[in-house]
Amino acid sequence: MIPTGEATIGPFFPPRYVDAGANDLTQLEGRAAQGEAIEILGCVRQEDSAPLDNLVLEIWQADAKGIYRHPADPRQREADPNFLGWGRAATDKQGNYRFRTVRPGAPAGRTRHVNFMVMFSGLMRILKTTMFFEGEQANDADPVLMAVPAARRALLVARQEAPGEYRFELKLRGAHETPFFDD
Amino acid sequence: MSTAIAPRDERTQPIRIVPGYPQTPWRNPQEPLVKRPPTLSELTGPLEVAKRVKLLGGDIAGHGEKQAIGQLMHLKVRVMDEDGAPVGGAVVEVWQANAAGRYIHPNDDEHAPVDANFYGAARLVTDESGAFELRTVKPGAYPVPTKDGWWRPPHVHFSLFGKVWLQRLVTQMYFPGEPLNGQDRILNAVPDAQARQRLIARMVPPTGNPYNALVFEHQIVLRGRRATVVQP
Repeated sequence: MIPTGEATIGPFFPPRYVDAGANDLTQLEGRAAQGEAIEILGCVRQEDSAPLDNLVLEIWQADAKGIYRHPADPRQREADPNFLGWGRAATDKQGNYRFRTVRPGAPAGRTRHVNFMVMFSGLMRILKTTMFFEGEQANDADPVLMAVPAARRALLVARQEAPGEYRFELKLRGAHETPFFDD
Repeated sequence: MSTAIAPRDERTQPIRIVPGYPQTPWRNPQEPLVKRPPTLSELTGPLEVAKRVKLLGGDIAGHGEKQAIGQLMHLKVRVMDEDGAPVGGAVVEVWQANAAGRYIHPNDDEHAPVDANFYGAARLVTDESGAFELRTVKPGAYPVPTKDGWWRPPHVHFSLFGKVWLQRLVTQMYFPGEPLNGQDRILNAVPDAQARQRLIARMVPPTGNPYNALVFEHQIVLRGRRATVVQP
């Protein structure tokens, strides 16, 4: 069967769908996830660098041991029971977003990373990208990061601004445009 | 058992920069999208979203004195994959305008009245057969602030979580026979006529529901097929 056509999320995604706490992956139903708590934050901009308000971001990542909470992961049984791996945030008037999560472990064959989705008015399709962490030796062998043209890879590597705080800027178009994936 | 994701036929998916949709040229990538090898990271995904965000009921039309204004509508949707296999346990978010074409959102603030009995949002989970049902009112059309005569036809928004990250889908459903369908810039951004037709719900005889509502049926097909993975 033909997959249903995508459409923009539009400007009217219900505010209550970005539930309070949906951007905090460090706990599940009140129980703390294993690993080092970190924050990922940044600003999302369009071509003229105007910050984008009311934009929805979602992340998906492995737990602190690099295991996905999913039956396709052969190590699923060892997954942290208190780590869901998914979160959602919206940007504020200044275009800023913030997630609280745990530093993911490196899954088999990969460096540590966090998958992002961008949904917004004017985006007819979800934009998908992946964030990497600065200073990781395994970055240079990651099959996804290495698929990105060398000159653009740095745009996917989050900068550590303070202990446990990573800045990942998203530019949807134009100078310093974030690399997005064709999946 | 896992899920394999193949590239989609581009003609079944919307163009990214849409003539007459003024935000699109500012926000869609200029650089070519990067092809990447599939890894476990994209072929897994959140299965328990409902542990992070609250489910909301499947009846948003209200009752009695709290009944929303508009034509009562019973929507029956089935979610499946590319093999036609039902996708059960999928979280589905629904949102729509009220019968006057107004959303409850701070960005929608001038053109039409709010209905105090209609918020217009539901978050549900599909059953084993991939189905979910919603009791609501038929949304109204509304003008887009481009001020050049573009009105959105009546439509319902869906956001769906499948079994893996790459099945995530945001789409819109339209209604049959609406004169505004033919000129809508979002619906018509899908190049293939058959694929556009699949975005339009089917009206079925309004029988078999206890409250005598209009009945519409719709199918949503997520990307992906079941695959047997050979572990190294």
